[in-house]
Amino acid sequence: MKLVACMMLLLGFFIVLVALVLLTSVGERSAFIAAGLGVEIQGLALLTQAYRTHRKEHR
Amino acid sequence: MNLELSLFSMMLIPFAAAGLALIHQGLGRSRSAAHAMLASLCALAISAIVFVLFGASWAGYSGAAIHSFVAGGVHWDWLGAAPFFAQSISFDGSDAAGLSRSLVLCFELLAVGLTATIPLSAGADRWRLGPICFSSALLGGIIFPIFAHWVWGTGWLTQLATNFGISNFTDVGGAGVIQVVGGLAALSVAWIAGPRRGKYSDDGIPTAIPGHNIVQVLFGCILALVGWIGLDSAASILFYGAGAQQVVGIVINATLSASAGCLAALVITRSRYHKPDASLSANGWISGLVAGSAACAMISPIAAIEIGLSAGVLSTYLIEIFELHLRVDDPGGAVSVHALAGIWGLFAFGLFGHFPSGTREGHILAQLVGISALLGFILPLIYGGNLLINRWSTYRVDDDGHWHGMDIRELGAGAYPEFVIHADEFVPR
Repeated sequence: MKLVACMMLLLGFFIVLVALVLLTSVGERSAFIAAGLGVEIQGLALLTQAYRTHRKEHR
Repeated sequence: MNLELSLFSMMLIPFAAAGLALIHQGLGRSRSAAHAMLASLCALAISAIVFVLFGASWAGYSGAAIHSFVAGGVHWDWLGAAPFFAQSISFDGSDAAGLSRSLVLCFELLAVGLTATIPLSAGADRWRLGPICFSSALLGGIIFPIFAHWVWGTGWLTQLATNFGISNFTDVGGAGVIQVVGGLAALSVAWIAGPRRGKYSDDGIPTAIPGHNIVQVLFGCILALVGWIGLDSAASILFYGAGAQQVVGIVINATLSASAGCLAALVITRSRYHKPDASLSANGWISGLVAGSAACAMISPIAAIEIGLSAGVLSTYLIEIFELHLRVDDPGGAVSVHALAGIWGLFAFGLFGHFPSGTREGHILAQLVGISALLGFILPLIYGGNLLINRWSTYRVDDDGHWHGMDIRELGAGAYPEFVIHADEFVPR
């Protein structure tokens, strides 16, 4: 779960970079950059959830 | 460049580290107070030495060699390649460019120490001294230099306008380079070290563990203001060419944003708990300083108040969310105050900043790209690095350490030997 979360963080960053390189219009770029940040936030949430679950199991 | 003003500003920066150290130890337990202060000194010492030996090479400076590659038809400058041990910087006055290089080295040396002290807040009362030193070396040698090169060197975030037609990422006072990097390191430490023993009951209900010396916490806030003024001013002069008149604006903006953050937290806690909460108000003060530092030289005083006010409101609620709902035990609130308020400050620059060139949309996009780099690249790097260190040298102190406190466990003597430490303060539920 933690590894998947880290991969999501990296994937979000990759989406932002791809949007910068491949897209030119401001609207498209904004949408993809927002999407990339959204994926990163989901990765962050997953990582937090992974530690919450881990603690419950070890209590 | 105004040499006297930049040198004077830099000399104020250690006050910020002193303020944060006082806040960390004041918000921790009395049985770990000496350990917290020694950990701050160790973090400053290790990060400074490792930065000069290796980090400064990767952080680079204008005109130095770089590591770069070409992808998608774009030249990506991702790391400095100056000689190790700061060999390319002369201090004898023989080289005209040497002066600005040595000033940048001096500033980043002090800034990296501040970055390394931030995670100590999240690891208070349980993070061992040995791993603290290794983690500080990681920050000073690898993480900080990478992002400092991207933002303050010649890295790809400073070339967004040239390469992609949007504006360059802007972080004048280090809200991203120092505060968010330190705050994300704090989040990693809080995850890896786990909550303090007794913090959560078996049902997951948190127990309040109040700080042991709120007077020092509040004094730390005032010291931090002095340090922040120096930090924002020095960075503005060195990296954005600010003059004396802009420095006056920076002093005003830093004070206003901190004040607004503190008052916001004070009013919220007063309305919710019927009495103002001193530790949350202190956190509001620091979050105002953090958020205001991203755009310190390029905003109006009214914008500084708005940014600080929002940061104070955000940090007050986020500290509670992290503690109650996400179960991240962060005694000093470093994640909310440094990482999240820093991210807000970076974004707020796009909303409130005065730009010499470029459109507002372009600046907002550039700030989002920088925030994405912090969350999507720097966070996994910090987290992975800290996980590796934890495998080799365990972060969390053993159960004996929790019972006796970090002072007795790691230093062999308490901070307050003439006072009786409450034996019933720590009862597992």
